[in-house]
Amino acid sequence: MNYNPIYALVLFFIIAGILFVLFRPNKGWFWVIKNNFRSNEKVVIEDILKQLYHFENSGNKVDTKTLVQMLKFNNKQIIEVVKKMTINDLIYFELDVLKLTDAGRDYALRIVRIHRLWERYLADKTGFSKEEWHNRAEMMEHKLSHDETNTLAAHLGNPKFDPHGDPIPTKTGKIAQVKGVELPLLPVNTVGRITHIEDEPDIIYKQILAENIHMGSLIRVVENNSTRIVFLSEGEEFILAPIVAANLTVAGIEKEVVIEDNIARLSSLKAEETAKITGISKESRGESRRRLLDLGFVKGATIKIDLTNPLGEPHAYLIKGTSIALRKDQAAKILIKKD
Amino acid sequence: MKNKNIDSIIELSNELRWQIGDDFHDNLTEGIYADAAQIVADTVKVDSSKKRFRLDRQIDKIVTSKTFGFPIMFLILATVLWLTIIGANYPSSLLAQLLLDNVHPILKSGAAAINMPWWLDGFLIDGVYLAVAWVIAVMLPPMAIFFPMFTLLEDFGYLPRVAFNLDSLFRKSGAHGKQALTMTMGFGCNAAGVVATRIIDSPRERLIAIITNNFSLCNGRWPTQILIATIFIGAVVPSAFSSLISLIAVICIAVLGMGFMFGTSWALSKTLLEGQVSTFNLELPPYRPPRFWKTIYTSLIDRTMIVLWRAIVFAAPAGAVIWLISNVYIGNESVAAWTIHSLDGFGFLLGLNGVILLAYIVAIPANEIVIPTILMLTVSVTGIAGGAGAGVMFELDSVNATGDILRAGGWTLLTAVNLMLFSLLHNPCSTTIYTIYKETKSAKWTIFASIMPVILGFIVTFLVAQIWRIIF
Repeated sequence: MNYNPIYALVLFFIIAGILFVLFRPNKGWFWVIKNNFRSNEKVVIEDILKQLYHFENSGNKVDTKTLVQMLKFNNKQIIEVVKKMTINDLIYFELDVLKLTDAGRDYALRIVRIHRLWERYLADKTGFSKEEWHNRAEMMEHKLSHDETNTLAAHLGNPKFDPHGDPIPTKTGKIAQVKGVELPLLPVNTVGRITHIEDEPDIIYKQILAENIHMGSLIRVVENNSTRIVFLSEGEEFILAPIVAANLTVAGIEKEVVIEDNIARLSSLKAEETAKITGISKESRGESRRRLLDLGFVKGATIKIDLTNPLGEPHAYLIKGTSIALRKDQAAKILIKKD
Repeated sequence: MKNKNIDSIIELSNELRWQIGDDFHDNLTEGIYADAAQIVADTVKVDSSKKRFRLDRQIDKIVTSKTFGFPIMFLILATVLWLTIIGANYPSSLLAQLLLDNVHPILKSGAAAINMPWWLDGFLIDGVYLAVAWVIAVMLPPMAIFFPMFTLLEDFGYLPRVAFNLDSLFRKSGAHGKQALTMTMGFGCNAAGVVATRIIDSPRERLIAIITNNFSLCNGRWPTQILIATIFIGAVVPSAFSSLISLIAVICIAVLGMGFMFGTSWALSKTLLEGQVSTFNLELPPYRPPRFWKTIYTSLIDRTMIVLWRAIVFAAPAGAVIWLISNVYIGNESVAAWTIHSLDGFGFLLGLNGVILLAYIVAIPANEIVIPTILMLTVSVTGIAGGAGAGVMFELDSVNATGDILRAGGWTLLTAVNLMLFSLLHNPCSTTIYTIYKETKSAKWTIFASIMPVILGFIVTFLVAQIWRIIF
């Protein structure tokens, strides 16, 4: 073959294009095909059980048609698997509504347990971003065996809740109660604590993440009507559409608890101001949280800005006589009370 | 019975722990810290009339200010690099003269006097000794100048401020501000730069810093860049500008390296390394007068000598290989000639040639011997006059003579440009590879860090070569 730089270049771009289509992160054909191979019977069974479990928990009824719409599998496969599951006594029909048997519920709980434990693991022990937790846990829940799950749970210290605030079922199937109600149900001027952030559907969850709303933070509702819900939290004002706000669960706080109202985020501290730290937000997890504690970012410590950065970030904070630089997203997770 | 008891106790403890909930751990830790702080507040007296390090604050205000922060930083780093590159020339040429021009002939005649067989003499003296001598002559002086200066800045406390100033840039590419320091250290020596990543305590950012350190043009590569730029790029413009233009070309390559560093860091943090734990914090210690002699001593021993020793250990066998491939024959062609001919086609695609590719393969242990190897191989393949014999590396005193040999080997401006690019984008030297393994303890990351730059180099030189040939 005769060499011609144009041909060589074209050939190169063709090969590069093919490789890109095959292997680009997440959407590459190679990964898609690999995932499709994964959707064997076990996965379908487990996904059906999980769906039914969630539906029954929220008091909804499911027939085969809705199930087929909910799951992203081949319709024929779902129908076949449902048939098999009735034979194996995992589910049964009440008229045309699908119900879990006791055995089916146990199985479903086990899957939910793995899913939430894995999300917890991703949050505490890895650096994956929040958007990815759910999908990764969806993959993992079909892979871990019973023993592996228990080892994982022990390794994480048998946590009670996953990072979104959903309860993790124990080995024996016990589930903690999530306190609180959906945010739109709270009247104006209620003070409460965010106890749960729903991570589905994806679009709404991403919106919540973009707002920088943190798990476990205190809020005060200042406006609640059919078009928008406004609340104050940690010195910032948040405005949400009711449909987004419905994904937040907030537990009211009893009157006896003293509410510190002028709590702010460290990121809002200005030069020359001093403040006292009142705590680290629940959003700071695992290694990062330990590091902050190690460095002395603890309740009661006095803090002020030591140096501002020529590029705007990070600022250096003077804490316990040492100058420590923190980035904005970290500073946002440290709560202070300005003097 | 006993076991059953224990089991039930464990069961009970799990139960209780679960009832206490997740906050327990945090509250306990925070409580301990709060108590400790209270005790300190009660017992330790601080003289609050003395404001915290007055001078420190003044210095900090200046070195992190919007107006002066960056100019000061560039000035200091440029001075350090300039002193290293220019200052190292003199001791380097002295060492080269001593080890290559004086000791080498003495060894040769000594070997002749005791009737050493030609192959043993060639293998040991022309191969092993010459490679080691070369590495020492080129590598030792810049390291002995660069590392002490760098360590002094570090000891004084200035370097954390550089990391502080630049963190914003590095954050955008998913890296840590301290990578600015390890990158700069890489300009001295990549192996030392990789060791220096220990200052980054976040696992993900540290791996990024290790893998991308190779994109800092190290001491072993500066001379190659300068030489090739002077011969080929300086020759394109009127002689009045030639030294300026070749200098700019070299700086462009170094800046391009930084560009690749940022790009690769970004891509890595978004793909392969996204699961690694990432934390950030940067302590800005108070300034202190550097302990001059101690710093000089430790930087010479800890950094210079260790790196030099590793380089020697790796360079010695490389010298042997270089001599062997030129002196072992398959049929009537030496191994070197045979390899060069088979690599020529691929080399042409990349705008390089077989000689350069072979030189980079045998010179994996040390970038310093790339040019001598290229010269030796070019002379032996083309059969032109000059050189010091099969398998004996050499360098010429005159830049023009070097250029003549290379042009006789078929080099064009494209070859030169692509050689400079390939010198930037190829696998790290074996010392660095070994150091990466020592630091990461992972074969996977070591292999990745070694292969990824070569692939990048292939792609970049390929694209440049094709586009160049289409345009010209």
